[in-house]
Amino acid sequence: MSCAQTHLHQVALETKDYKTDAKPFWCPGCGDHGVLTAMYKALAEIGVDPNYLVNISGIGCSSRLPYFVRSYKMHTLHGRAGPVATGVQLARPDLAILVNGGDGDGFSIGGGHMPHLARKNVNMTYVLMDNRIYGLTKGQVSPTSQRKMKAYTTPYGGVEEPMDPVLYMLTYGASFVAQSLATNVKMTAQLIKDGMEHKGFAFISVLSQCPTFNVIDDAKYFKGAAEEVSPDHDVTSVDAAMHVVNVGHETGRIPVGLLYRQERPTLDEYMADLVKQAGGGPDYDLRKIIDLARP
Amino acid sequence: MDKNDLIIRVAGEGGEGIISTGDFITQACARAGLEVYTFKTFPAEIKGGYAMYQTRASAQPLYCQGDTFDVLCAFNGEAYDLNRSRLLPGTAFVYDGPGGDFEPEIPAGVHGYAIPMTKTAKEMGNPKAKNMVALGALSQLFNIPEQALREVITAKFTKKGTTVVEGNLNAFAKGRELAAALAKTDPWKLEAPESKRDVVVMSGNDAVGLGALIAGLDFFSAYPITPATEIARYVARHLPKRGGTLIQAEDEIASASQVVGASFAGKKAMTATSGPGLALMGEMLGMSFMSETPCVIVDVQRGGPSTGLPTKHEQSDLFLAIHGSHGDCGRIVLSVEDVSDCISLTVEAFNLAEKYQCPVLLLSDGSLAFSTQTVAYPDPASFKIVSRKRWDGHGEYKRYAITDDFISPMADPGTPGGMHIATGLEHDETGNPNYSPANHEAMQAKRFRKLDGVVNDFPPAEVDGDGEAELGIIAWGSTIGVAREAIARLRAEGVSVKGFYPKLLWPMPVEQFEAFGASCRRLMVAEVNFLGQLAHFIRAETSLRPESYTICGGLPFTPAMIVAKVKEMLA
Repeated sequence: MSCAQTHLHQVALETKDYKTDAKPFWCPGCGDHGVLTAMYKALAEIGVDPNYLVNISGIGCSSRLPYFVRSYKMHTLHGRAGPVATGVQLARPDLAILVNGGDGDGFSIGGGHMPHLARKNVNMTYVLMDNRIYGLTKGQVSPTSQRKMKAYTTPYGGVEEPMDPVLYMLTYGASFVAQSLATNVKMTAQLIKDGMEHKGFAFISVLSQCPTFNVIDDAKYFKGAAEEVSPDHDVTSVDAAMHVVNVGHETGRIPVGLLYRQERPTLDEYMADLVKQAGGGPDYDLRKIIDLARP
Repeated sequence: MDKNDLIIRVAGEGGEGIISTGDFITQACARAGLEVYTFKTFPAEIKGGYAMYQTRASAQPLYCQGDTFDVLCAFNGEAYDLNRSRLLPGTAFVYDGPGGDFEPEIPAGVHGYAIPMTKTAKEMGNPKAKNMVALGALSQLFNIPEQALREVITAKFTKKGTTVVEGNLNAFAKGRELAAALAKTDPWKLEAPESKRDVVVMSGNDAVGLGALIAGLDFFSAYPITPATEIARYVARHLPKRGGTLIQAEDEIASASQVVGASFAGKKAMTATSGPGLALMGEMLGMSFMSETPCVIVDVQRGGPSTGLPTKHEQSDLFLAIHGSHGDCGRIVLSVEDVSDCISLTVEAFNLAEKYQCPVLLLSDGSLAFSTQTVAYPDPASFKIVSRKRWDGHGEYKRYAITDDFISPMADPGTPGGMHIATGLEHDETGNPNYSPANHEAMQAKRFRKLDGVVNDFPPAEVDGDGEAELGIIAWGSTIGVAREAIARLRAEGVSVKGFYPKLLWPMPVEQFEAFGASCRRLMVAEVNFLGQLAHFIRAETSLRPESYTICGGLPFTPAMIVAKVKEMLA
């Protein structure tokens, strides 16, 4: 098996086998269509058994994605896809966990969870679909919106500096960090595939244009600003990864490609060690525990 | 006459060995076959502050912490000052003197015993053994089983080596010697029973953890919060032995989310928190109900609102437990009376969550959390364990199929053909979003009507007393034990009272309430909160119009308070 993730149950399927009968509800021209296509492609290339795939999302336009993917799935609460996915993963480390969500979902209301997914190295793939705006509520600024943006609740222009989800995840210790554009299905699919095969918390930021509400960060802007990371980039160095992102902030460029990858034990592996240390198993006699409370 | 139902209060500065002294008394009494029921207050601070540990021991069953102490052992002046108003005639008072930091006045009728605790321990070159001197004196004066005390002291210090064990036992012996030299004037004397029952001694919080293990807990997630954290401590220690997983989450929203995720994955999952944490879990409670994913949430209530009285006792989360979360959101709410319930009703909480695929809340409270009590040995084989109904793999799978009992079989991830979505959006039988009026009506009816069976699945609320009564007392949570003792006293005085002790609070067993109400001329609900929360639900859900008796000072009721209130009402 070429896959580093031995838990990924593999079958031979085509992209169409991952599609459901539900038709994607996104606007024409929305970047999310591209992300979905890339996901089908990545899943088929790995050959993930849909019976062992759990696709989890929060709330927002992009969080509707699981309805379009043949798998077990959860459409949870705004901002809570990460911790729900953590519960599924720890309960069943044999499952492949794929999370989708937007910038508001992951980095505004759910922002408090992201550091812990990263530092705990929960074995899952998190695909951020960053359109830099709230789409489902009809166009308000999000934590990744450019400051000057005039929008629904910022008629005179926004007043807050945006954050960079990639820098955030690098800072908190995500063990796989990559960025891509929704318009580049090939690269996005490859990075999702690599992320799923990575053992640990894989974070893939996909810049996904919203043609309906975000007139600044459109597909043309993303394409023009994107710059593939150099083949010489050292993906094992978190300093190098942060440097590339910071240089981009200065030059107005958006680095795309694999930025950082690190091999380290996952949370469920540490948990399994604890059970081993305790000499545990479901047959451990409860009476031995109860006897400790005898006076 | 010897009085063999003894309440000993040990009080002093936190860190002086107050808690361990209380623990030794409790463990030794239980070891000698006595029933124990303890009550503690801790300072909110980590170091210093007033600490108190009260042990009630008797050969008879105990239901509550009692009215007040029979014996006060004061380690310092603060402990004396805070308790002097309760030094009633007949009370025994053991204090640090001479050589302590205070010179108490012994009120008339109080049996004073001066034991130079600090001085003796210093003279023995072992100042930390002050509490051992006190323990020896208490043992001698009130016949706390000496041999059992020596055993528990030895067991506690064995790890620290024989010198430490010897030092403590010597100080203990010295305390006995000092007390033996004094003339005993009080009637308090413990007498161990001849026959012992097979027991464990546990706190309410540990017992919740044990109940979860018995129920088959696989996954536990929580965020630290007083007074619930000891549940996580117990589970963290023992769950790995059973192959399960415990995680400390970044907040209570995350812990509830992780529990719902683990349960979706097919595991028995729970979290434990207090009111502030439950408030944060409200939205996920709705997700659990809407997506029909079982989850167990334990709320060890504390004084509120807001940060409130974090280390104090209150029963004020009933509104939140029953109606917290937006929209019409169903759930099952249980409450525990004592440590024994903390085991058995935690098992029941899992059984109901698994059967009805909904959130189940178990309400405990601050005083029960830390109260240690003797409980009949819980044989794991004696508990009925329920697991969720799972799809049999035949035909087309519909996760939310409307069945005869409105319970739809679940499919764990990995089940071929069982792929589905668990969603918080309104959905049809397959899980697909559907906002049509007819569908929302049908699915809400499904989710609520499946809960119709709960009342019949749960043992009926206990009725304390037969026939008609002048007054019926309704109590929930740990107030039940206080009501039991109050009612026994009132009955002995010829007062016509009955008790009603519901432990399934939602869905409310309305018919049981009505039947009880019909047998009483008047009704009173005693509960530790300001608004009279259970009384509110009784008025809303039944035809009954009970009178409310509420306190919210951070302490539980005493039997004497309820006795006095009843007499006042019936006067």
